[in-house]
Amino acid sequence: MARGQAKKVFVGAIGADNPVFAQILGICSTLAVTNNFRNTVVMSLGVLFTTSLSGFTVSLLRKKIPGRVRMMAETLIIASYVIIVDIVLKAYLPDISRQLGPYVGLIITNCIIMGRAEAFALNNPPGISLIDGVASGIGYSYVLLVIAFFRELMGSGTIFGFQVMGDWWTNWAIMVMPPGAFFMLAIFIWVVKGVFLKEKEEAKA
Amino acid sequence: MQEVSFFKERVYPILFMVFLTVVFISAISGIYLQTASLVEENETIFLKRAVLFSAGIPVPESNNEINRVYSERVKEYMVNGKPGVFEVNGGESYAFRISGPGLWGEIEALIGFDEDLKTMTGIDFIKQNETPGLGARIEEEWFKAQFRGKTPPFSLVREDEEDIDPDEVNAITGATNTSNYIRDMINRSPGQAAELLEEVR
Repeated sequence: MARGQAKKVFVGAIGADNPVFAQILGICSTLAVTNNFRNTVVMSLGVLFTTSLSGFTVSLLRKKIPGRVRMMAETLIIASYVIIVDIVLKAYLPDISRQLGPYVGLIITNCIIMGRAEAFALNNPPGISLIDGVASGIGYSYVLLVIAFFRELMGSGTIFGFQVMGDWWTNWAIMVMPPGAFFMLAIFIWVVKGVFLKEKEEAKA
Repeated sequence: MQEVSFFKERVYPILFMVFLTVVFISAISGIYLQTASLVEENETIFLKRAVLFSAGIPVPESNNEINRVYSERVKEYMVNGKPGVFEVNGGESYAFRISGPGLWGEIEALIGFDEDLKTMTGIDFIKQNETPGLGARIEEEWFKAQFRGKTPPFSLVREDEEDIDPDEVNAITGATNTSNYIRDMINRSPGQAAELLEEVR
């Protein structure tokens, strides 16, 4: 695999082609789990694990998968990895598993994973697909972590459950509720597109 | 020629899916069986911890200690196929599995009472789907601990209210519905506890 290609794939998924703020995928979990930093970290790791390995596996099998059942096969592969994450959490991190509840299982329906399998892994060799999966996972994770940081800080005055804000701070209850997620995500996309991706947009036009 | 394409078009996809399913399901089953006992142990420890906490017994750190203290002091009675009444120290106090509605789903709690079934020894939640960061704060230590030694029925006061009467408890700011559900559940519980105890005796 060419080094240049790997770098392009990696930087793309983190920056200009980021799954969350450029492709607007995986929004469901971005909105749902980001009111608590610790849950977000675990969720991100779960998605990172699944995108990487499902991309790799789909790519390994890409020449064997019959076209008409390819989505069934991809779903099976993705679901298997997600169930593994769920079982491991239940066995070794029962408290976090209890808090995340159904969200771990819902990684299966995260569009980023299916999207990468369809758009990339089916047409590219395993090595670069793994890199693409890792990069997409990281691209997803850091956006969630930034949003979760601000939501937990402003909504509960804490980070990782530790009190950060002093007594003078009044918690913004809306930040831990679903509307807070919409506001934060919108502000995030606005800032990123307005400040960092501005030149690209202008160059296109 | 016809037959080859029939195989490729119709038979191969089915064989492929069967093969893939068998491989992945075997792998998952293997991992499941490997961790099944651990998962089960986590769940029983979770329940035992909740029983001890709601009965007002200090909960030990290690799992072994929890198992030891639990088997020494607690006697379980089955209600509808699962442990529902817990007799502590030979009847000094009791914990009951009591459920009620929540904002997003059922809330299940263990509520502990002295032998008179009036004074609470504590409460712990074993199942809840309340909003994380708001309603889910019922899991916080201060919220659960405030019921200890008090007698329901309760009324709610603001979370930051410090001057509280014995029949008042602090609600959770931003989680009015959840707080009301918990209050109703606890206010109902002495009656339910008496019925449950009657049932198992």
